[in-house]
Amino acid sequence: MLVSEVHQPRDLSELLSLMRRLPGATLYAGGTELLREQASRYVTLPPELVSIASLLELRQVSLTERFVELGACLTLTEVLELKESALPELLALALRGVATAPIRNLATIGGNLATRSRFMDVWPALACLDALVELRDGSGARWINLNRLADDDGRPAFPAGVLLSRIRIPLERWDAVALRKVGRCGYPSRDSAVFALAARAEKGILAEFRLAFAGERALRLRDVESRILGRRLPLSAKERSAFAVEYREAATVLSPELALRFGTLVDGALDLLSR
Amino acid sequence: MTFSFILNGEDVLVKARSADRLVDLLRERFGLLGPLADCRHGACGKCLILLDGRLAPSCMLPAFKVRGREVITLEGFSQTDEYADIKGGFEEAGLELCGFCDNGRILAVAALLERNARPSRDEILGELSAVPCRCADPETLTQAVAAAAERRARRLYHRARQ
Repeated sequence: MLVSEVHQPRDLSELLSLMRRLPGATLYAGGTELLREQASRYVTLPPELVSIASLLELRQVSLTERFVELGACLTLTEVLELKESALPELLALALRGVATAPIRNLATIGGNLATRSRFMDVWPALACLDALVELRDGSGARWINLNRLADDDGRPAFPAGVLLSRIRIPLERWDAVALRKVGRCGYPSRDSAVFALAARAEKGILAEFRLAFAGERALRLRDVESRILGRRLPLSAKERSAFAVEYREAATVLSPELALRFGTLVDGALDLLSR
Repeated sequence: MTFSFILNGEDVLVKARSADRLVDLLRERFGLLGPLADCRHGACGKCLILLDGRLAPSCMLPAFKVRGREVITLEGFSQTDEYADIKGGFEEAGLELCGFCDNGRILAVAALLERNARPSRDEILGELSAVPCRCADPETLTQAVAAAAERRARRLYHRARQ
């Protein structure tokens, strides 16, 4: 492939028109996912490649009192460098855990969320925060909850032929956040996954509780979350144990080993919340 | 196709395929042997360069990604005062790097000190984890970077007073 065959649109409208003209084209931002598994002398690139990393419309940051909106082509480092008020702690924890600084300088937040082979490290944190993503294609733009990018089996379901252009993250007060990476360190592998939790208490009552776990599959049990809500803190040992068992059993679809670790993490997190 | 970018401060033109990795272009077309092509998936840190001032693994960069951008390799960086600060700090702490990791570690320290003049021990070890070589122990590495930071701060102070 020649360099000239890589399409480099100058703005978003040119990109969208290219996507209409070349429906099978691969969008290339940081490229870390595409190159991660390639150790050969030459890089194998898809036949039609559209380089989008430098498009200004995909690199904007917009901050309001209620949310922050991030352009999908901001690198993970650029997101980490946002001022504290624009960067939820849970997201910062997730970003710091991604690979090494040089990789974070290339990888983009949109790429981290749009990976189709598995869920990457930032996904559970943003799923917990109920982030919205803006998807664009030839028919227009729409915002959807990030959690909808997982199918009924919890597998990645990022639609084909679609651009993830922006991420909107609600800025809320959280009393407790936790993020734990399990499995092999470094690059995501079959046995690695990330566990994220955010909780808020009001007048001694658990007012908000969200827990997401994602690796090859994603898990967020909204029915269990709704049953935990409204309980008085501290939770009793019996309550904690019952919820941990529910989470562990649901997580057996991931793998027995991950399910066990998931149950332990939930128990630990609920214990921490109860103190 | 021929495209241009800035390499160690000079505008250069290169004819390349988009499937060429930057690390190979640097070594084979420009004879810049600082960056090494080893793991080829961004894990070993031996091929690090500064891309628009930020640390990046050149094995993870297809040629088309550097069009119009600025690349600095160890060869270019070694002509700067910042390099002298780092080298001096390393010598002061008795740090001797092996030939495999010196490229990555020197550039990683350069990138770290550029954005954080007085990094903590955790920040130093966090940044240097991009180059997982075992030729130096963490304590000596930390002392060496602290010494380099001190030299850099002194130099900048004297320059500001002139």
